[in-house]
Amino acid sequence: MHEQLVKTAKTFVAGLIILVSLAGTPLESAESDHDQTATKSTKLFDVVFKEFKLNNGLRVILAEDHSAPTYSICVTYNVGSRDERPGRTGFAHLFEHMLFQGSENVGKGEHFILIQNNGGSANGTTNAERTNYFETLPANQLELGIFLEADRMRALNITQANLDNQRHTVQEERRQSFDNRPYGKTYEAVVEAAYVNFPYQHSVIGSMEDLDRATVQDAVDFFRIYYAPNNAVLSLVGDFEMSVALNLIKKYFEGIPAQPVPPIPDVDEPEQKTELRKVIEDAFAQAPRLDIVYKIPPGNTPDWYALSVLGQVLSGGVSSRLYQKLIKDKELALSASAGPDERRGPSLFWFSITARPGVDLAALEKLIYEDIARLQNEEIADWELSKVQMQLRRQRAQQHYSTRSRANSFGHYAVYYNDPQLINTLEQKYSRVTKGDLQRVARTYFQENQRTVVTTMPKPATAKGASENR
Amino acid sequence: MRRKALIRDSAGIVALVFGIAFLGQNVPRPYADESIETSPSKVERKNKAPISRDVLRVKLPRPIEAKLQNGLRVLILEDHRTPAVFVQLHIGGAGALFEPPNMTGLANATAQMLREGTQSRTSVQIAEEIDRLGASLGAAGSFGSSQVVLNASGLSNNFDSWFALAVDVLLNPSFPKDELEKLKQRLRAQLRQQRSAANFLVNERFSHAVYGDHPAAIVSPTSESLDALTQAALMKWHRERYAPQNALLAIAGDVRAEELIPQLEKWFAGWEMIDVKRPRPANPVPATARKVYLVHRPNSVQTTVALGNIAIDRRSPDYIPMVVMNHILGGGVSGRLFLNLREEKGYTYGVYSDFSALRYPGPWRAGGSMRTEVTAGALVEFLKEINRIRDQTVPSDELEDSKRAIAARFALSLEQPTAILGLAVSRIQYRLPEDYWDTYPTKIMAVTAEDVQRVARKYLDPEAMQLVAVGDGVKIHSVLESYGPLEVYDSSGKLTSIPKTVE
Repeated sequence: MHEQLVKTAKTFVAGLIILVSLAGTPLESAESDHDQTATKSTKLFDVVFKEFKLNNGLRVILAEDHSAPTYSICVTYNVGSRDERPGRTGFAHLFEHMLFQGSENVGKGEHFILIQNNGGSANGTTNAERTNYFETLPANQLELGIFLEADRMRALNITQANLDNQRHTVQEERRQSFDNRPYGKTYEAVVEAAYVNFPYQHSVIGSMEDLDRATVQDAVDFFRIYYAPNNAVLSLVGDFEMSVALNLIKKYFEGIPAQPVPPIPDVDEPEQKTELRKVIEDAFAQAPRLDIVYKIPPGNTPDWYALSVLGQVLSGGVSSRLYQKLIKDKELALSASAGPDERRGPSLFWFSITARPGVDLAALEKLIYEDIARLQNEEIADWELSKVQMQLRRQRAQQHYSTRSRANSFGHYAVYYNDPQLINTLEQKYSRVTKGDLQRVARTYFQENQRTVVTTMPKPATAKGASENR
Repeated sequence: MRRKALIRDSAGIVALVFGIAFLGQNVPRPYADESIETSPSKVERKNKAPISRDVLRVKLPRPIEAKLQNGLRVLILEDHRTPAVFVQLHIGGAGALFEPPNMTGLANATAQMLREGTQSRTSVQIAEEIDRLGASLGAAGSFGSSQVVLNASGLSNNFDSWFALAVDVLLNPSFPKDELEKLKQRLRAQLRQQRSAANFLVNERFSHAVYGDHPAAIVSPTSESLDALTQAALMKWHRERYAPQNALLAIAGDVRAEELIPQLEKWFAGWEMIDVKRPRPANPVPATARKVYLVHRPNSVQTTVALGNIAIDRRSPDYIPMVVMNHILGGGVSGRLFLNLREEKGYTYGVYSDFSALRYPGPWRAGGSMRTEVTAGALVEFLKEINRIRDQTVPSDELEDSKRAIAARFALSLEQPTAILGLAVSRIQYRLPEDYWDTYPTKIMAVTAEDVQRVARKYLDPEAMQLVAVGDGVKIHSVLESYGPLEVYDSSGKLTSIPKTVE
């Protein structure tokens, strides 16, 4: 998928071309005959959008919605922590912070000031796969959002002082969100144990040591290689006229030169042969936590959707299997969640259970495996499957109000899967999952030799701590 | 983090209090501590961005208001963009504010038990039915609040089914004994778990420091108070305090008000008025002398601080100038605190200020987390910014930007029907005038630099502030001692002595 997207970007060099005009037409009309019993009684709402490509390769997705006097802009760059190199973990996210440090026509910190003074809100996020930046503003500030995103894509201002300042900020973010929190280091321990290949084997936040190593030259190179128009998707949703928005986008973005296609990281994982186990200590945890993960296929594949449904059956809502059994009936756990993460390469299905203090973890783990065996040996009940479809439908209906949610989804689906139409077809993909699929994926992927088990244990109180880093 | 604590009773008002500002003047570059920065990283304005100077004046849609025969007030905001419906039932007089002191947690436990069994449904049946409908249903009460809130949401095509279920749990709960024991077990397990979080510890100590004897000082039940919760006590709380005439039912989404209101009469026909005594506790009063609290949390790599004092209630005439003042100082990512402590010093991932204004006066409060080593430097900067807004008139362009930001932000609330509904709910709960939100931008725009300075001086007195720090006491106690009389607590909440350098 990734390769496809980049190739497409490269081939379009002749001015502005309208790629698709979808306007709610189902992309896959062959699928319309399939069973939609869970959904037919509620009205459908498709997001109507148009897609363009600038001559520098910038992919543009526009969706008008005049129901509120607002709009959201999102620029999604096809770069994440998987693109980092050894010794520079955390760099993609540190670099995300640099995009708020000023550019040719915007001072350091002025981005936030301009957005807030004009009634908007803004942020950026980084994950393993992509980095996105988004603003929501009143509709009369259309030009401002487009200008701000273009100015930093075109001429970011990278200085040693600003890099050092944001290095500190990110290190504080790491302390606040991970190092000073119960279970804050568990996620890192799990990906480090479960993956063998570097791109997915490290956390997005990165290590303190690597953050210290980041240089201005690293930042300059990273900007040139990855922050190019042909490596980005701009999505705009809300209260604007399409032609006006498109002209503004051309005005500000078209002069930004394309760059050579960035390298694509090799995220393949060797086949796991045996179960992996690891125990870590946590100075803040009051109760032990059990994380069990299995290697599974990439997102947007039929098996991934089936695994996502299994996650809901196991832990979605109070009627879910893990809640009823572990939290309520047997009173063994404080919390229990299950579900897949979503990557373009090998992904992980997570079971994450916080035990009550004093609970026998081995017995708890055995109970999880009993639930897994049940999924492998018995079909789930009809009501469990229809419940998941209904929950998804409600979730989609509720998210639909927000222009930001839609703009970010376009960026996500375009960058990950070259398929922004997923915003409308996702529900179909889920509704195609059968009870047989669920049993099959449980058997295929929940195998002992495919799993990694990480146990987080409270550190005995007598230990002297206060170490800054691990 | 703190937003959660602040928003508890005010239905979204505080969410409007957002940030702004620019450093119009060059603050002398301060205080060097061990975080060495040789070259400055300064916030800068180039003023080259294309902006529209107009503030988009938006007219907020008004929900339809009705009152049922049993006195239940109803607000309905129709919004047919998507097939979703949101329901919030606020039940005044049933909140933790009125709990007997030996039964803290009673209001919340009663609310949480609603969905654990009714005359005709078991806990499991309720859970399955709700999930099958793709709906959500829950009720809870927060400490310091006069009310409990029942929340439900779902799709419009099966609204009747899930709403009927919500009505059943509200009116016919059975409070099964075995389910109550299970709930108490879950709540007990949380008592210990919550103490591992620095944010809980800072909230607990700060609330005690500013609220004193007022019930809002309490932020958690105790294992003894949970022991005291019996089926009989919960049934009594429900029977004597869930009164329709004290409740407000707010509905937003894909419904038709004119069809819905007659149906509501039928659904709620069995809910009868009862007389509820609601003796309000005496208002909390601001502390008059500075006091410092250290919560020693071993292994901490950051210090989490909160400082502030009791300020105003929601109906105070100073509310509007406080919104503007707070916005300038610490209301968001362009507030003075953020720009100074994060963007220039790199001490923190984020520092903010906020205030809680309910039926009774609540605190203004600033805070955040920073690495242990810069605790001293951060406290200097907090106080410097507080003194600056007290001692110096806000530059006019900074003031104008701030007011503009607050007024312009209204447009964004139009995306979410629940946001508009929240504004209407708060208008009713705080008995604000009918046109309160229509004239709110005008009132904000009328705030002067003198108003800002006046409320800063009145409510942000550094000499009377309560300062709480959660962190590695061995490393930070000497810094804190220099700010005033110090009390030290351990992470279990007990008074203790200054921690010694270990081993």
